Amino acid sequence: MSSEILAKLNMPHKFNLSKFALYLALFAWLILNCLPILWMGVISFRDYIDAFSPSLSFNVPLTFANYSNLWIDNKFYQNFYNTCFVTFFVVLISLSIGCLAGYGLSRYKGRIGFILLLVALAFRAIPHSTLLPSFFTMFDALGIRNTSFTLILVLVSINQPFTIWMLRSFFIHIPTELDEAAQMDGCSSFQAFFKVIVPVMWPGIVTTGLFSFLLAYNDFLLSSALTNTEMMTMPAAIANSIHAESESFLMQGIAGAVSITIPLILLIAIFQKQIVSGLTQGAVKG
Amino acid sequence: MKLATFLKFTLPSAVTMAVLLALPLLMTIWLSVVNCSPVLELQKTEQTGPFGSHVVTAQRFKVDANGQALKSCQFVGFDFYKNILGIQSSSAAGPVDQKLPTDGHNEFLNALSFTLLYTAVTTPFILLIGLVLALVTQKISDRFKGLVISMALLPFIITPVVGALAIKWLFRDDGLVFNLLSHVGVQIYWMSEAWSAKLLVIFYGVWHVSPFAFIVLYAGLQGVPQDSIEAARLDGASKLQVLWFVTLPHLAPLTIFITLIHLMDSYRVFEPILVLTQGVFTTSVQFLTYSILLDESNPYKASAASVLTLVGIGFLLAPLLKRTWNEQRNSR
Repeated sequence: MSSEILAKLNMPHKFNLSKFALYLALFAWLILNCLPILWMGVISFRDYIDAFSPSLSFNVPLTFANYSNLWIDNKFYQNFYNTCFVTFFVVLISLSIGCLAGYGLSRYKGRIGFILLLVALAFRAIPHSTLLPSFFTMFDALGIRNTSFTLILVLVSINQPFTIWMLRSFFIHIPTELDEAAQMDGCSSFQAFFKVIVPVMWPGIVTTGLFSFLLAYNDFLLSSALTNTEMMTMPAAIANSIHAESESFLMQGIAGAVSITIPLILLIAIFQKQIVSGLTQGAVKG
Repeated sequence: MKLATFLKFTLPSAVTMAVLLALPLLMTIWLSVVNCSPVLELQKTEQTGPFGSHVVTAQRFKVDANGQALKSCQFVGFDFYKNILGIQSSSAAGPVDQKLPTDGHNEFLNALSFTLLYTAVTTPFILLIGLVLALVTQKISDRFKGLVISMALLPFIITPVVGALAIKWLFRDDGLVFNLLSHVGVQIYWMSEAWSAKLLVIFYGVWHVSPFAFIVLYAGLQGVPQDSIEAARLDGASKLQVLWFVTLPHLAPLTIFITLIHLMDSYRVFEPILVLTQGVFTTSVQFLTYSILLDESNPYKASAASVLTLVGIGFLLAPLLKRTWNEQRNSR
């Protein structure tokens, strides 16, 4: 270690071939890794004939027609709005009820808490399509299928097991002395929670919120099954392009796919640290 | 914390899960052993025309006070299960008006066997690619690490249906990969043959999940004690030996973690199946329920597929639940 540093100090401009090869290989890999998405971005600005043509030339006319057809003529803004509406409320409700439960679970040592955690773990693993037959039956009987309200509640409940596990593991690291001190000063347990614990929990809440956002934003199965045209979120709306035979449908699907991806790229750029900590948290801390 | 306070805190979350997860699961079991169809009634209308009047009889759905179609449900036992598993139904108990077509093939086993193939093939590649990426990323200068992590994460964070579509558009007949291969004289119609369609779904899986393994293993590498590496180096161990004897054992619990998570996620694989093959050459348990429900419009048969799926996840989960049980018990 120290000898390497010395070597660097002595010869700052030394060209290291193996290091260079390493960088080259890594970035080549990364570009290859992102190629499906990059290529989707490239062809979204082309006409069908240029997007899928044997000629590999990059010298082709660019067009915004796919985007304008999708967003303006086919009212994709409505789907964008639906996505915003649904994800906002899913995150809000998930975090509100999840924080309460996560905190309760981190502080209560009895058997019921433990059983609830295990049940939540089992719920977290169920394939979502297994719930659909019952959802159809229940929501049809109540006449509430195909409403944003229903979709929000369904996504919140799907998110809940994951949310309470994650929040609990953040709350556990907040020392109980903090609650005790607040309660000593005359706070009820709810006051202690809102005035003392929540303010120091923001990093954990942001990280968890990010993952419940991703779960809601990326959901296709439930959103497409439970909503129809006007209520559809963006991923559900591009389902048409899965089997699209028509050229215009296909190109609009590509523009839609790129439109869905751009907010996610921004999200990674801004919240990279939180995403990484969220992904590793379960693993590293056990 | 007292039990009463705990219950107050957890009530909203517990009720949500009870109503929208536990209740539907119980309901699925009930739905899987019945078969309901709308009640038809004969409607007589007298039509009076210029040439006298006559009575027209028509069938229509009987509706209740709210205008919802009334349904009559029959208990059919395990008929739908037998149907899905390709077992010849005893048929006496079968629904009267709707004979179930049994072509004798086991839809569930088909779905399960591809799911298993997918899991078995993707897991080693995901771990290997994740490990190599993590080792390489640790070697590079700090100022590039953020960029590398961001770029690597993209296929994992991307909406699965969009990711699967991106792969589909890349491998389409007359898409980029097809054209590139054509230039060197290889023509593969990726989505029209069983082997290549399966390969594409597996490729999607590796592409989508390896960033997760990378991030977890990379974080794990930060925790490898530097002094044991240095001690090993001082004792004359080669770099490869350090990797094999110091680093990898340290990462072993993480690979188990990644494998467990991937096992659960593979069992739910859905989007690439739908997008890349429409269930023709590949299928999965989650896709099976979905297609019975939406393509066959049969919620009762779909429920039977659901219950079979849940039994499968039970087997998968049992070791994990047991592990968690022990961990939590020891930590108290």
